[in-house]
Amino acid sequence: MLKTLNQKLSLFLILFASGYLYLTYNLKEYPYVPVDSDFVPKVLGYVLIVLAVFLYFDKSSETKEEKEKRTIPKKEILVLLAVGAMIFLYIFLLELLGFVLSSMLFVFGCSLFLGYRNHKVNVIVSVIFPLVMYLSFNYLLQIKLPQGILPF
Amino acid sequence: MKKHLLGLSFLLMMGMMLAACSGDSNQASGEGDGEWSPEKPVEIVAPAGAGGGWDTTARSVGKVLEEEGIMEQNIGVVNKEGGGGAVGWSYINSQNNPHNIFVSSPPLIFVPLNGQSDLSHKDFTPLANMIADYGAFAVAEDAKWENLSELFDDMKDDPSSVTVVGTSSPGSMDHMQFVSIAKKAGVDIKKIRYVSAQDGGGMTQILNGSADVYSTGIAETVEQVKAGKVRVLGITAEERIEGDVLSTFPTAKEQGIDATFVNWRGFFGPGDMTEGQVAYYEEKLKEVSDSDAFAEIRKNYGWNEMYMNSEEYAKFLDEQKEELSGLMEELGLVSN
Amino acid sequence: MGAMEGFMQGLEVAFSFQGILFVLIGVIAGTLIGMMPGLGPISAIAIMIPITYGMNPSTALMMMAGVYYGAVFGGSTSSILLNAPGISGTVATSFDGYPMAQRGEAGKALAIAAISSFVGGTVSVVLLMLFAPALAQVAVSFGPAQYFALMFLGLTAIASLSDGSTVKALIAATVGFMMATIGIDGQTGTTRFTFGNPNLMEGIDFLVIALGLFALAEICFLIKNRKDDSLSKQGDIGSLKLGKSDFKEMRGPMSRQSFLGFILGVLPGAGATIASFIGYISEKRIAKRPEEFGKGSVKGLSAPETANNAATSGAFVPLLSLGIPGSGTTAVMLGAFLVLGIQPGPLLVQDHPDVFWGIIASMYIGNVFLLILNLPLIPYIAKILKISRPLLISLVAIFSLIGVYAISFSTFDLYVLLAFGVLGYLMRLFSVPAPPFILAFILGGMMEQSLRQTLTASGGNMLALISDPVSIGLYIVSLISFLVPLIRTRNKNDQSESEQKAS
Repeated sequence: MLKTLNQKLSLFLILFASGYLYLTYNLKEYPYVPVDSDFVPKVLGYVLIVLAVFLYFDKSSETKEEKEKRTIPKKEILVLLAVGAMIFLYIFLLELLGFVLSSMLFVFGCSLFLGYRNHKVNVIVSVIFPLVMYLSFNYLLQIKLPQGILPF
Repeated sequence: MKKHLLGLSFLLMMGMMLAACSGDSNQASGEGDGEWSPEKPVEIVAPAGAGGGWDTTARSVGKVLEEEGIMEQNIGVVNKEGGGGAVGWSYINSQNNPHNIFVSSPPLIFVPLNGQSDLSHKDFTPLANMIADYGAFAVAEDAKWENLSELFDDMKDDPSSVTVVGTSSPGSMDHMQFVSIAKKAGVDIKKIRYVSAQDGGGMTQILNGSADVYSTGIAETVEQVKAGKVRVLGITAEERIEGDVLSTFPTAKEQGIDATFVNWRGFFGPGDMTEGQVAYYEEKLKEVSDSDAFAEIRKNYGWNEMYMNSEEYAKFLDEQKEELSGLMEELGLVSN
Repeated sequence: MGAMEGFMQGLEVAFSFQGILFVLIGVIAGTLIGMMPGLGPISAIAIMIPITYGMNPSTALMMMAGVYYGAVFGGSTSSILLNAPGISGTVATSFDGYPMAQRGEAGKALAIAAISSFVGGTVSVVLLMLFAPALAQVAVSFGPAQYFALMFLGLTAIASLSDGSTVKALIAATVGFMMATIGIDGQTGTTRFTFGNPNLMEGIDFLVIALGLFALAEICFLIKNRKDDSLSKQGDIGSLKLGKSDFKEMRGPMSRQSFLGFILGVLPGAGATIASFIGYISEKRIAKRPEEFGKGSVKGLSAPETANNAATSGAFVPLLSLGIPGSGTTAVMLGAFLVLGIQPGPLLVQDHPDVFWGIIASMYIGNVFLLILNLPLIPYIAKILKISRPLLISLVAIFSLIGVYAISFSTFDLYVLLAFGVLGYLMRLFSVPAPPFILAFILGGMMEQSLRQTLTASGGNMLALISDPVSIGLYIVSLISFLVPLIRTRNKNDQSESEQKAS
């Protein structure tokens, strides 16, 4: 039944729209306006379902180029996931370690992981870039980035 | 870290020398009711983005504290935007550090009542109120109403014949200030047509006739009144405000509607604070309030002086909550 | 006092030594701050306000105006080089600027942006000078019904923002619109789709979505092609050389969008973002070769850059002549006026002609400064792209992350950013276009609010939406702009079919 990609996408969108619609039917009512806060969301939810149905029956095949985009070797998927995980870890550590340290770790680690082999430049950039950013934000622009465990 | 300690001890020494006349102040971390002074930079949180009322209050008070040398520590202003203040409040609550204080105003009462924040003013320590702002109800110059009584007479006949516009959403400042005055005037507040318009939309809408009455702050109307484009039917202050145009704005009270509405703005700290900490901030903020520099800022922004110390402030807030929750309950805006 | 006399006085103020100096400081500060991740004109102005304390008001405000358009000017750099728009006004700039830079013409792309900005900025200042007091009426002429029609016109352009499947473009737009419904609803105060999370109550910030869908999704592609070093091998990516044909291409968009952008800027609430999108779309509609758009077209880059700068000057009309701030940025700008003890309003031009005309006159100087300061720097700035891919990827990631953190100071938004990065990447894999998503997100929120404002004021009468000539006119234009591409593609299909038959 779900032969084409479009059909899979369509089914997913219908599920998403249904979830959204379920929420719109549970919005708090506000009795003093002719059109309440649920009106537009409801319209959007139903429109999405209709569009998803169209997509289901959309016979237009993909161009070669588009298909090619999707063929990613397994190894690359792992690389992408790893970078995603690094960003996640970065966000997690940002307010604990502070901007400077976590950015240094991220820039150095991520560049190394992606195959940057000029270690000298890597160290220099990963030290200087976060420091310059931090100092110019904190002192020049008076925008406080997380200080973390560093004393400044 | 070492450097930090060094700097700190230097500051402490300086503090001790300066404090020779004002008594013993090296009781650094607040123990019981001893005197207290901050041991690191103080952070003023504006629970909103750059440029709004909270942000300007925080920044201007911070500036006076620093430039007039009232507070010996550095002061930084931090924006914690989101949830109409809720994000900033929960930040203060989680830090629970006497070096983090924040600016707030009536939304600290509305937002918890709306059910949009679990924290209310009771969860924080009021330090001092600084300024007051009042609401104004403006109409286009060619509108048929000359004063509030005429407007409310029409609204008593048919509340939905008048469209009121304001910047904030229902259940917040602009809406509630209109509702509280209209209620006293005897209008059926459930039938009031209220529209919220951001980005200067309120003034635009009365100028082009999309809406009839603009509920806003007094300062926003002054220039338009001077230019003869709009007319202020009434303001929510207790008595008329000084100033060449301002003094021509009639209060609701003098028009026989016994109601006022204050947009107060002041400073709060986290829930757990010692008496010494509260006293410290009270005193410093009092100094700011009394300074010429801050008087100048008040004048430029059209704010009025309204200093309250911690105790007065706490009492005032409880009264405010009492009054507003009644109104909001009637409108069905209170959520549990 | 006559306008001419006032303007002469303004010129005098602007061309004084102090005036020139502070305009220069303003535009430099604005450009630099605008280039910073996440910092647009709002933050730039807010940051500079304390510096003006105690300054002469007219000089200070000339500086602040410089900060404002300087920041809009600087914001395009990261859109073009990194696909990471720093401000909402430059999202459309990345549509063609980034592909052009990736083709090895970064210097050219930046130069086109700079020249278009300059022309948009300068032409609109002329308009501002000639018509500012007169246009005050135009600024307040739009009520909610007209705004609804205007947003509707913007939304009908969605199909034209993508070349692939129309259904997919509409799906992207619908989901983008749905994202705009998250948060506290302005008309009722109801919280929608926040799952009780206070971080979501004010909605998702535009920049979170833009940086996620564009910058982070692009990072995924760069990761896949990280071994590709063609750009760093290519000799002269910083070259500013524009051919005669390039100027010919730019002439049309620059002349049209300077006017259109300015008028949209005059309308409170519309502003630079909408002007840049509408500029982009309208040029694509009338272009002879619309298929080039999105692939590094000169026109597609020139149009939004002209429009957003023209809109920036336009935004000064309601601010200076009415005292009405039409956007978050001009609201902060209004704050800058107040700090200096100047209350902008209908009387500003009489009470403080030096301020009113000084600001306008200074904008000529400021725009010239921006151009002559930026052009020589372009070759150096373009070199960013020569940084080895792995390192560049890490830096762009950090750049986007600070950009978002500097808006809300909460890590929650960073997780949301990451989620939109993943979504953006998946959308690309499945060939669902991102521009309709972001356009619907911007227009959708305003469209819903103006629809409901209209209906509340009319007591629910739908006819209020089509009761005046301006809205009707806008709907007719929407209809035409919706039908024209359909007819065009049909003709094209017929053509290709007949060609096939012939062969």
